[in-house]
Amino acid sequence: MKLGIDIGGTFTDFVLFDNNSNQLYFAKTLTTYPDPTIGIFNGVKEIEDKFNFPVKNMDGIVHGTTLVTNAVIERKGAKTAFITTKGFEDVLEIGREMRYDIYDIFLTMPKPLVPRNLRMGISERVDIEGNVVTPLDEGALKSLANTLKENGIEAVGVCLLNSFANTSHEKTLGDYLSKNVPDMYYSLSSEIMPEIREYERSSATAMNAYVQPITDKYLKDFETQLRTAGFEGNINIMISSGRLTTIDGARKSPIHLLESGPAGGAMAGVFYGKHLQEENLLCFDMGGTTAKACVIYEGKPEITNHFEAGRVKRFKKGSGLPVRIPVIDLIEIGAGGGSIARVNNIGLLTVGPDSASSTPGPACYNLGGEDPTVTDADLVLGYLNADYFLGGEMKLSVEAARKAIENKLAKPMGISIEEAAMGVHRIVNENMANAARVHVLEKGMDPRHFNMIGFGGAGPVHSFGVARLLNTKRLIIPVGAGVTSAIGFLVSPVASEKIHSHISELKTLDWNEVNNFLSDMEEDGYKFLEKSNIDRKDAIISRVVEMRYYGQGHEITIDLPEGKLSDSDVAEIQARFVKEYEFRYNRSIEGMRMEMVTWRVVVEGPTPEMKVKQFTTQVGEEDAFKGTRKVYFEETGYLDCPVYNRYALKPDEKFDGPAIIEETESTTVIGVNTTIQVDKNKNILIDLHL
Amino acid sequence: MQQTATTFDPIALSILWSRLISIVDEAGTTLQRTSFSTVTRESNDFAVVLMDKKGRSIAQSSVSVPSFLGVLPILTKALLKDYFPLDTWKEGDVVMTNDPWLCAGHKPDIGIVSPIFYKGYIIGFIGTIAHSPDMGGQLWGAGTRDLYEEGLMVPPTKLMSQGEPNETLFNILEHNVRAADQTVGDIRAQVAANDQGIKSLMKLMEENDLEDLQDLSDAVINASEKAMREALSAAPDGSYHYAYDTDGDGRGVGCHFEITITIKGDKVVADYTGTSGAHYMSINAVLNYAFAYTAYPIKCAFSPDVPNNDGSFYPITVTAPKGCLVNAQKPSPLGARNVTGNMLHSVVFGALAKAVPNQVQADCGSACWCIVLNGEHKGKEFVEYFFLNGGYGARPTMDGEHVLSFPTNVANVPIEVLETDVAVLVTEKSLLPNSAGNGEFRGGLGQRFSFKNIGEKPINVSMVAEKTVTASKGILGGEDGSMGSVKIVPEREFPSKGLGKLFPGEELILTLPGGAGYGNPADRDKAAIAEDKILGYIS
Repeated sequence: MKLGIDIGGTFTDFVLFDNNSNQLYFAKTLTTYPDPTIGIFNGVKEIEDKFNFPVKNMDGIVHGTTLVTNAVIERKGAKTAFITTKGFEDVLEIGREMRYDIYDIFLTMPKPLVPRNLRMGISERVDIEGNVVTPLDEGALKSLANTLKENGIEAVGVCLLNSFANTSHEKTLGDYLSKNVPDMYYSLSSEIMPEIREYERSSATAMNAYVQPITDKYLKDFETQLRTAGFEGNINIMISSGRLTTIDGARKSPIHLLESGPAGGAMAGVFYGKHLQEENLLCFDMGGTTAKACVIYEGKPEITNHFEAGRVKRFKKGSGLPVRIPVIDLIEIGAGGGSIARVNNIGLLTVGPDSASSTPGPACYNLGGEDPTVTDADLVLGYLNADYFLGGEMKLSVEAARKAIENKLAKPMGISIEEAAMGVHRIVNENMANAARVHVLEKGMDPRHFNMIGFGGAGPVHSFGVARLLNTKRLIIPVGAGVTSAIGFLVSPVASEKIHSHISELKTLDWNEVNNFLSDMEEDGYKFLEKSNIDRKDAIISRVVEMRYYGQGHEITIDLPEGKLSDSDVAEIQARFVKEYEFRYNRSIEGMRMEMVTWRVVVEGPTPEMKVKQFTTQVGEEDAFKGTRKVYFEETGYLDCPVYNRYALKPDEKFDGPAIIEETESTTVIGVNTTIQVDKNKNILIDLHL
Repeated sequence: MQQTATTFDPIALSILWSRLISIVDEAGTTLQRTSFSTVTRESNDFAVVLMDKKGRSIAQSSVSVPSFLGVLPILTKALLKDYFPLDTWKEGDVVMTNDPWLCAGHKPDIGIVSPIFYKGYIIGFIGTIAHSPDMGGQLWGAGTRDLYEEGLMVPPTKLMSQGEPNETLFNILEHNVRAADQTVGDIRAQVAANDQGIKSLMKLMEENDLEDLQDLSDAVINASEKAMREALSAAPDGSYHYAYDTDGDGRGVGCHFEITITIKGDKVVADYTGTSGAHYMSINAVLNYAFAYTAYPIKCAFSPDVPNNDGSFYPITVTAPKGCLVNAQKPSPLGARNVTGNMLHSVVFGALAKAVPNQVQADCGSACWCIVLNGEHKGKEFVEYFFLNGGYGARPTMDGEHVLSFPTNVANVPIEVLETDVAVLVTEKSLLPNSAGNGEFRGGLGQRFSFKNIGEKPINVSMVAEKTVTASKGILGGEDGSMGSVKIVPEREFPSKGLGKLFPGEELILTLPGGAGYGNPADRDKAAIAEDKILGYIS
């Protein structure tokens, strides 16, 4: 029996898989502040009371949380210091010197997580090849440690120049600090992100230090409380790459938790895809404040190493703090149901990027919000049921929604309220489809070749419109669309990822050295898996190298051939590089030398199997057809649209759109020219005809 | 081709407009990922612009160098008028030029323009400008005596004809430039970026059943023009004058700028009468480059939110006496014209401060300093450009940011990348306390950057530094920022502009100017002063 727990901004979601009956159970509680473990144990208790599964009987728990992301966004991390090579203390603040918006003279750059007075230099220097130019000033360590103590520093990040080429000075510093300031947390860049480019490496290291104390305390509490409750199984934590780590792993490198929730959603997409025999899927996840998309290609999510946290301007690339960690390539494509619509200064209707969030929220919440939002438009168009929002727990005001749209949009544009509402719905769909399309194209793929899976609170409302725009043939709305991330937690493998920086031309590589460090990295990975009771014979190894043409600054990732590498592999590696380069950029450069930069080894445990027999939800005998209501579709205008209760739909049922299908956490909107099919697990499959 | 004019409702236009912008951004990503020179791949010194068949810009890459964005449509219009009339273009053609008067004002900036064909008809153009690693001649910088020392000039020429490469041209390029594989590699990357943009535009046309770009182009251009005109109408009519001096050679022969900005109704005219004549050093700007850097701060002040295109510029006129510093004529040397272009925001904002004080910023610690290192490293010749920025000017409601690029927008080259490419060891990179101009809002700090030659051979250094004998000017009572300096250890003379040599073991110490202040320092918030002290921004 395994439990997935996902802490989000508003709700904490629970998914329990019982491998005796092969059934899934869902629960949802409010996230509690400041101590989220209260919400967790409320849910654990609910599961025990409602389904009779006490936590002590469970074999494993997988957890993900927004804790780390929120600490960075809200700047609520620890009092952190930063140590670097003397003379380079300000690198963390100077950044790359470039603006993210060229016309906004009032822009502000993200403030560094460590202020200038807490950044300290130490005399030392290593050159680019790893040779020591200036030895570490060990005599200065004592006063450095004292300064840290005097300032009440809780955590320190250490990033020395060229430390990816020679880690010894950072290690000496780390050892000294752990012996002499034992209560303080420290993060070394050579362990967090051993890659070239000092600012990006410093940024990741400082952030890791910044969030470490709170994550550590939280995870310790979490574990202790579970053990006290009698839980004896494995605890794993979901990380941004869609893999699981141990509690210790998460405490050491908490920045890997930055995208843990969304990564869970993507992994659920992988799971459903396998289940439904859909190898290539576009995941579309839309909630109240954010919408994300992610590509699953040949059954795998794409992983990227470019990520930014805590942006000053949410959709502006470059306005955040860079963190080069492996992250599932989830692109933020919109601000969710709370996105505010307005008519701009040149008379055009625009939606977002700002959001009414939960307070005051959309106008229809009647909590004082006067700005029309996407949710208001959805209500006016008949997509949402004013009396059955969150299963009827929250009443929506159609009148307030209409008034907001009329005053702020319809009147200024001289069009009807419905037209304005349709405009909002279309623009938000267009914006999201547009961003998703660019995202897919950037990978050299064609969005029309992907079916879509839609989830999240607002996902099922907008999936259909987005799918139409992308010329998607089939749309899937899975069961459990409101707790998808937690489902993903239960189907993600435990894995270790090791990074090694070794820059060398392909032709002159010392293969002995390469084989040595690769096998060390593999060995580390095996040892890591053993901590989660995974035998090395069950592990899957993948080894990749990031390479480029000599003289370029951006790399592409190539799978390495198996086994010990030697000169005889050069031709194959070259061929793989050229193939990938041509795939991305439609050309290659003949005769140009190639260079290897960063080596990565992932040692992964088996992907947990979850042979779901039946998703257990409320099963009613009543008729699924609830009646009709007036719904506005672009092609037809208002029509009487059939409304169904999702819980009463029968497996293998089949009918034509349009349709509205209601469930507690969401509403699925389906337009005309569609065939709707319910599969044996009650997933909704929608075929979009041209 | 039979076609009725399409009109776009506010919803459809909003949708298509943002798609056009994402097309050029995507092409920009391709350029950056496939290029070789640090200038393009690390520092973003490039731009991509989508144009209609009249050569008018419709959409441009979001985070690019403003001057390039302004220049590409001027270039394309000139190509159509004087070189390749519309009906002579064939699918698969690519035109290249680095003619400074047509393109971006100096030879290293290469413009590559490709026509866009749809269903057999030409519907528009896509162009890129990127700073190439080398164009031959003297090492790039401020030290050339005339245009001919600045290397190869390629007048508008077909680089590709119907998909077939012009091998003669490639051959000539390869034999005339340093680090030829980088230069040619970057030209190919530009062609790839254009192709990428064309491919994406095709999809947009198909999916939206568009036959032609013209109606869409008219719609976005009209919208941007209207926004600019409305903002100008809201500003008080009048003539606003401002004078400003910069380093010139830094040894007594300076540059003097004068501007008179006249706002009348929904139009603005910027006139540079009174500005000094062409300089003997290669820091002269051609008029279309000066136009781009004059229009840019005007756009920032009046219409920052509306996406930029040709329409934003229609209400703006820029005039300058022929032969002066900002309207240079042949054969004036132009190499480091960016130090002049980078100063024009100072005079524009200085004049506009009298009309719209809440829409301008104080002077920045610009121009961006450019340093080119040339020598041999591990048996291979290198030409490494890198950039350093000074402090940002204070704003009407907030301090300036420290060390931030303005008005150009180029990133620094990471220290570790620099040390990979060149035999140097960087010895310091830090903020420079007390370098910002004080004011109700203070400027941003400048920086100190120093490095040592650790190789066995001398390195040729081309320095383009500015504000070493002049300072960024405070406005509306704000104080000036600090001046910069160029020093060498062991001490000897080293030019702030021009060529020098860094011998093995020598260290070059560069101190970059701070940004200027805005408003009376006596009005500065006490808490802000206290915080500056804690953080060591001031002592």
